[in-house]
Amino acid sequence: MSGQRKKRGIRIIDSPDKVLSYFKPEKKVLLLIAIGGTFFNVGMTAGPYFEGRLAQCLYDCIMGRASAGDMLRVAVTYLTVFFFVQLMRSLKRFSGARLRNDFSRNMRHMLYNGIVHMSREEMKQESTGAIMTKAIADVDACATGMQQVTTEIFDTGVLLASYLVMLFVYDWRLTLLSCLFMPLSYAIAMSLKKPVTRINEKYKATAGKLNQETLDRVNNAVTYRVYGREKDRDASYEKILTEYEKTAVQSNLWGNAMTPVYNIICMGGILFIIWFGGKNVLGTGWTAWDIGVFTTFVSCFTKLAQKASTSAKLFNSIQRAQVSWHRIQPLFREYVELPAPKDGESVETLKVSEVSVSYPGFEPVLKGISFEAGKGQIIGVTGAIACGKTAFGKTFIGDTNYEGSITLDGIELRELNDVEKSGLIAYMGHEPELMSDTVRENILLGKEQETESLLKMVHLKEEVAAMPHGEESFVGNGGQQLSGGQQARISLARTICHKKSIMVLDDPFSAVDKKTERKIFEELRRLAEDRIILLLSHRLSLFPEMDGVLFLHDGTGSFGIHEQLLREKPSYASLYEKQQAGGASDEK
Amino acid sequence: MKNSLISIIGKMAAKSKGTIALTLLVIVASVVMTLFPPLILEQIVNRLTDREAVAVTVALGYLGMLAVSGILESLQNVMLTVMGQKLTHNVRSEMCAKLSRMQAGYFAKTESGKITSRFVNDVDAVDSIFSNGIVGMFANACRVIGILFVVFYKSLGLGILILAIVPFLFLMTRHIQKKMLKAQMANRAAIGKVNNHVPETIRNMRSIRSFSIQKYMEEKYDVYIEESYRALEKTNFYNAIYSPIVVCISSCVIAVMMVCSSMGDAMQQFFGITVGSAVAIIAYVGKVFGPIEKIGMEIQSVQSAIAGVKRINEFMREEEAPCCEEEEVHGTEVKFEHVSFAYDPEQPVFSNLSFTVKEGENVTLVGRTGAGKSTVFRLLLGLYEPQEGNVTVGGVEANRIPGDRRRSFMGYVEQQFRPVMGAVEDQITLFDTAFCRNEVEETAKLVGLHEKIMSLPYGYDTPMERADFSQGELQLLSIARAVIAKPKIMLLDEITANLDSVTESRVLDVLKKASEGRTVISISHRIHEKLQQGRLITIGAE
Repeated sequence: MSGQRKKRGIRIIDSPDKVLSYFKPEKKVLLLIAIGGTFFNVGMTAGPYFEGRLAQCLYDCIMGRASAGDMLRVAVTYLTVFFFVQLMRSLKRFSGARLRNDFSRNMRHMLYNGIVHMSREEMKQESTGAIMTKAIADVDACATGMQQVTTEIFDTGVLLASYLVMLFVYDWRLTLLSCLFMPLSYAIAMSLKKPVTRINEKYKATAGKLNQETLDRVNNAVTYRVYGREKDRDASYEKILTEYEKTAVQSNLWGNAMTPVYNIICMGGILFIIWFGGKNVLGTGWTAWDIGVFTTFVSCFTKLAQKASTSAKLFNSIQRAQVSWHRIQPLFREYVELPAPKDGESVETLKVSEVSVSYPGFEPVLKGISFEAGKGQIIGVTGAIACGKTAFGKTFIGDTNYEGSITLDGIELRELNDVEKSGLIAYMGHEPELMSDTVRENILLGKEQETESLLKMVHLKEEVAAMPHGEESFVGNGGQQLSGGQQARISLARTICHKKSIMVLDDPFSAVDKKTERKIFEELRRLAEDRIILLLSHRLSLFPEMDGVLFLHDGTGSFGIHEQLLREKPSYASLYEKQQAGGASDEK
Repeated sequence: MKNSLISIIGKMAAKSKGTIALTLLVIVASVVMTLFPPLILEQIVNRLTDREAVAVTVALGYLGMLAVSGILESLQNVMLTVMGQKLTHNVRSEMCAKLSRMQAGYFAKTESGKITSRFVNDVDAVDSIFSNGIVGMFANACRVIGILFVVFYKSLGLGILILAIVPFLFLMTRHIQKKMLKAQMANRAAIGKVNNHVPETIRNMRSIRSFSIQKYMEEKYDVYIEESYRALEKTNFYNAIYSPIVVCISSCVIAVMMVCSSMGDAMQQFFGITVGSAVAIIAYVGKVFGPIEKIGMEIQSVQSAIAGVKRINEFMREEEAPCCEEEEVHGTEVKFEHVSFAYDPEQPVFSNLSFTVKEGENVTLVGRTGAGKSTVFRLLLGLYEPQEGNVTVGGVEANRIPGDRRRSFMGYVEQQFRPVMGAVEDQITLFDTAFCRNEVEETAKLVGLHEKIMSLPYGYDTPMERADFSQGELQLLSIARAVIAKPKIMLLDEITANLDSVTESRVLDVLKKASEGRTVISISHRIHEKLQQGRLITIGAE
C-alpha cells in the first residue's frame, strides 16, 4: 500500500514511524532537487570565474590586446551561463519547498488518522488532547529539517566540493594553506556546540514556562483576585519575564551573533591569498596567474568562507528537527481504515435485564435495571439530578460499562464493535458537540440529503432561514454563535438524520419551551413507528404519553407505565406533581 | 495616548536613551565599515596590474577591515536583541499589571486563549516590527545610501544605471511580495482550520464514534491540509523565482557596464573603471540589491504585524475596574441594602435585594436558576459593583476590602475547582509563602486529603495533575484552599452538584467540620440539609 495515491495527492505512508518512509514516495521531487542542486552549485563557481574573466578582458582591452567584441562575447557567455544557473537555482528551491510541503502534508495526514481512531483508553488520559495538538505543531519543524538535510547535501556538499576543486586547479598549495583556518573555525563552533545547545534548551524551556505562566495568570485571573493573590502573581510573572529576557539575549548571542566571528576566522586565509597570490600574478609564485585568476580566487574564497561559517547554523537546525521528530515519532500509527457503517437490520425488541452500569474503573452507579421495549415504542427515562440517567444512556455507545445483559433481538450489546453499534444505535448526548462548520454540515456530517424536513422536525426552520446565509451559515467554534437551544436542536436534527433502529436521546428538550417540546415530541412519535426511542429527560410533562417509563432512584430503577409508577412510587409521584405545579419547570 | 503601546515604548525609550544611541551608532558604523573592504581590494588589484608587490600591511588591513565589520555586525545583532527583549519585557509587564486592574467582567466575556495570545503572539509581533521592521529598515536604508554614495563616487555611469533600475526592482519586489502575502494569508487561514480541527476532533470524539464518521472527519482534515498545501505552493513559487531574478538583473548590470567600458576611452571614463575598480564595483553591485530586497521584506513584516499592535492597544484600553480607597473592616456582618445589579443593563439580575447575615450565622440562598445566587457571591467578593444600593461586609463596602486581606476574611469555594500551575501544595496556598508546610498539612488533614497527597510520588511537591485526583478530591482541595487562611466568612457555591452521593456526603462532612464557628453562606440544598441549621434567603421571585 506504500505510496498509494489518495485523491488530492495525499498519501498513505507505510511504517509512518520511520523517517525514510516519507522519502519513498518522493522520488520525482528528489530527482528534481538533485538536478537543480548539482547544476546550480557547480554553476556557482561560474560567478567568480566570469567576474575574473571580465576583469581580465577589460585589462586586455585597456592594453589594446582585446576589442569590445571580445568583451561582448565574454559578457554574453557570462549571462547565458548565469541565467541557466539561476534557473537551476529556482528549480532547486521550488522542489525543495515542495518536498517539505509533501512531508508535512503526509505526516499530518498520518497523525490525524491516529487521532481520529484513538481508543477510549488512550483518550481517557487527560493530557492526550494537548499532546496531540502540540505534535501537529512539531510536524513543521520536522518537515523543514528533513528538507534542509536533503537540499544541504547539494548546497553545502556539492558547493564546497566544486569551489575547492576550482581553487585546487588554480593553485593547490595556496588552496591548502588558505583553507587551514576553516577547520579551526569549525572546531571552535563544534566546541561551543554543547553550551550553545544548553543555552538554547534553557531558552526554549523558559519560553515554554512563560507561555504556561501567562496562560495560568489569565485563566485564573478571577481566582487570584478573589484570593487576593494578584500582586504576588504579578511579581512572579515579572521574575519569569526577567529570566526570559536574559535567556533570549544569551541564546541569540551564541546562536546568531557568533556567525560573523566564524566568518572572520575562516577569512584568515585571505592573507596568504593576497601575499602568495600576488606573487603568482607577478610571476614570482608557485604558479603563473593573470589578474583575472587572482580576482576569481579571492571572490571564490570569500564565498567558500561564508558557506563554511554558516555550517554550524545548519547543524543547529538539523538538531532542532531531530528533537521534534523524537517527540512525534511515538505518536505515529499504521494507517487505519474502518469499514463504513451499514444501516443494521430493524430491531424488534430491546431487552435489558439485571443491568448494572459503571464508569470504567468506578463502582456501579446503577444496579438491577430491567425492562423490555419493542418496535414503535418511546420509553421515558427519568429521575432526580445525578440519578444516573446519563450514565445509563452512555451504556448504549460503550462509554460506560455494564454487567447483566442488554440484547437487541437477542444479540448482546457488548459483543458489537463500535462500527456495528453505530449501525444500530443513534445517540444524542448532553453536549451538542457541534463542529465549526455550517448548520447544514453539522446535521448531515457528510451525508447527501436535504435538510429542510429535518429542520422542520426540530422546529428550527424559521430560525435558520433568518440567519445570514440560511443553512449555510457557520455556527462558530463549538457552535458558540448559536443559542444553547439552537445547538441542542441541531444536535437532535443530526441524530434524526442518522436515524437508526434504536435512538437514545439524552435531554433533547433542554432549553426549548413547552410548546416546542410538545411539537417535537409529536414528530418523534411519528419517527418511532419503526424504531425504539429511549428518551432521557428530567421534565416529566410528556411522560404520561410514553409507552413505558424507567424511573431511576436510589441507585436502581423501576419500570412501568406512567400511571402505574404514580401509584406505586411516591417519589415519582411527588417529582411529577412538583413539576405540574409549574414551580420548577425550567430548573435544570 | 495614555495606555497604549506608544506610551509604553515612550516610557522605555526615556529610560534607556544611552542604549538607543549606542545601537544607532553601531548600525551606522557597521554600514560604513562594510564599504571599505572592496576599496582596499581595489587598491590591491590596481597595484598588481601595475606589477607592484602588495605590502603585508595592506593585506593585514584588508583582513582587519573585514574583522571590524564582522564584529560590528555581531554587535548590531546583539544590541537589537537586547533592545527588542527589553521592549517585549516592558510591554508584557504593563499588560500583566493591566490584568489586575481589569474589570472582572472582561474575563467572563473574553476567552483566556485569546488573552494569552495577546501576551504571546501579539507581543512577539511588536518585537518583529521593532527589530525586523523599523530598525532593520533604517539599517538597510543606510546600507543602500552608503553603497550608492561609493558607487557614484567611483563610477557615475554605474550609479545612473543602478538608479534607473532601482525603482523598477522595488516595484517588482513589492508586487511579488503582495502576491506572497495573499498566499500567506490563505495559508494562515487554512492552517488555522487545520490546527482547530484536532482539538475539535478530540472534543467531539463521542459523536465521531457513535456516528462512525472517522472517514468523514479525515476527509475534512485532508481538505484543510490541501488548502494550506496549495497556498504554500504559491508562496514557494514566488520564493523560488524572486532571488534568482534579482541575481540575474544584477549580472545584467555588470555585463552592460563591462561591455560599455570596453567600447573606448569615453565610455571608460564615464564608468570610471580601471581593472581594480571593476572588481570592487562588481562586489558593490551584488551588495546593493540585497538591502533593497530586505527593505521590501521589512515593509511586509511591519504590515502583517501591525494587527498585533492594534490588538495590544485594544487590550490596554479595556475599561478598568474603578479603584477604591481601601478600608479596614470591623466585624463580619454581611449586609445587602436595596441592591440592584445587572451585567447587561437590558437584563437586570435582581433589584432591590436586601438581607443581613449576622456573625456566625448559617444561611442558604435559594431561588431558581438564573436568579442570581452566584452573583450575590461575586458582589460580596468585590468582583462587581452594584448599580444601586450597598453591599457591605463588616460595615465596609465589599470592593473596598484590601485585596491582600480578603483571603483571611472570606473563603470562597467555587462550583468547580480551578487548578493553578504548580505543585499540589500550591493548590492550597496559592503560592502564599506565609503558610508554612505545617499549616498546609494541618489543612489537608482537616479536609481528609493528607494521606492521599502523601501517596503521590513527591507528596506535597508533586506537580499538580488533574488526573491524580477524583472529582470529589478536587472539591476537597478547593475547600482546603479556602480554609487555610481561616476566613471568618465562608461562601460555598453549589459545590456538590457534580458529585455522586458517597463522595458528596464525604465532602459535606468535611464542610461541616470546616465551617464550625464561622459565618457560612451557601448555595446548596444539600448543605442546608446536612448542616441542619440556619435559615433560607430567597433570591429573586419564587
